[in-house]
Amino acid sequence: MIVCVAVVGHQNNPLYIQSFTEADDALKLHHIVHCSLDVVDERVNNPKKSGLTLNETFLGLLYPTENYKVYGYLTNTKVKFILVTTDLDVRDADVRNFFRRFHAAYVDAVSNPFHVPGKKITSRTFAERVSNIVKSFGLSSAG
Amino acid sequence: MGREVSESCIDGLLTEMVSSYCNRFYSNTPELAARRIEAIGYQVGHQLSERYTMERPRFTDHLEAIKFICKDFWSELFKKQIDNLKTNHRGTFVLQDNKFRWLSRMSGDPSVENGTQDPESKAAQAMSMYLYFPCGIIRGALSNLGIPCAVSADISSLPACSFVIRIKV
Repeated sequence: MIVCVAVVGHQNNPLYIQSFTEADDALKLHHIVHCSLDVVDERVNNPKKSGLTLNETFLGLLYPTENYKVYGYLTNTKVKFILVTTDLDVRDADVRNFFRRFHAAYVDAVSNPFHVPGKKITSRTFAERVSNIVKSFGLSSAG
Repeated sequence: MGREVSESCIDGLLTEMVSSYCNRFYSNTPELAARRIEAIGYQVGHQLSERYTMERPRFTDHLEAIKFICKDFWSELFKKQIDNLKTNHRGTFVLQDNKFRWLSRMSGDPSVENGTQDPESKAAQAMSMYLYFPCGIIRGALSNLGIPCAVSADISSLPACSFVIRIKV
């Protein structure tokens, strides 16, 4: 299950962060997202060391914690997408697919003429679309 | 699923936008009108670059980003690529389009052509107002890709047009 997704701008400013848990652990999840930003920076600045080639937007598994796995994605416009999940056996293809759809939703949200670039995304349509994408995550592999 | 855009509508919108800003909102201050039109282009370019760089590996250097503008970005906007790209390898790039779509239906007034120098420069000035919008688009796209720059345009001979990109260091 995905517990948290986040969009972080090019100056590491949060543009959208949403957790999907019942429990009151938003702060903890935000902390995990915050920590992952350093890992993203490290991956991008030392591509050789991390074995990252071709400058792919999908950064793969950033780091595992005891209960969570954190995945990252960096767009051409230096916007980071972070995904925190509790699933322990996640298929790469599922995550890639998730980020692709998430990116499409993000692009549509920022193309709204009323959206101010660099400000938080407040669109309700975007929130709804994201929660749909989150809900359908991993279903393709189960079915 | 591609969406289609009516070309004549875009032409009409561009003409109307330029004439509104130049003749109505800022009729006395053409510099201000130019800046406003450029700002609109900036927003358009900013948003388009986000969309067109999806599913594409990140660019490693400036040249790659400029090449993207010349090829894919231009094809999406104008259904053709930039015809010629020149650079001094010190942050200045010249993009030449031999038949720029937004100028292809423009012509100078032939009745004043054999007159004095003045009407001609007036025509050039009027024409240059139409180029602030594409300049803004290029600047918006490149800034969103992390390359702050200044873009200017100049018209050599009518349907041809070149854009000069100066990257700020």
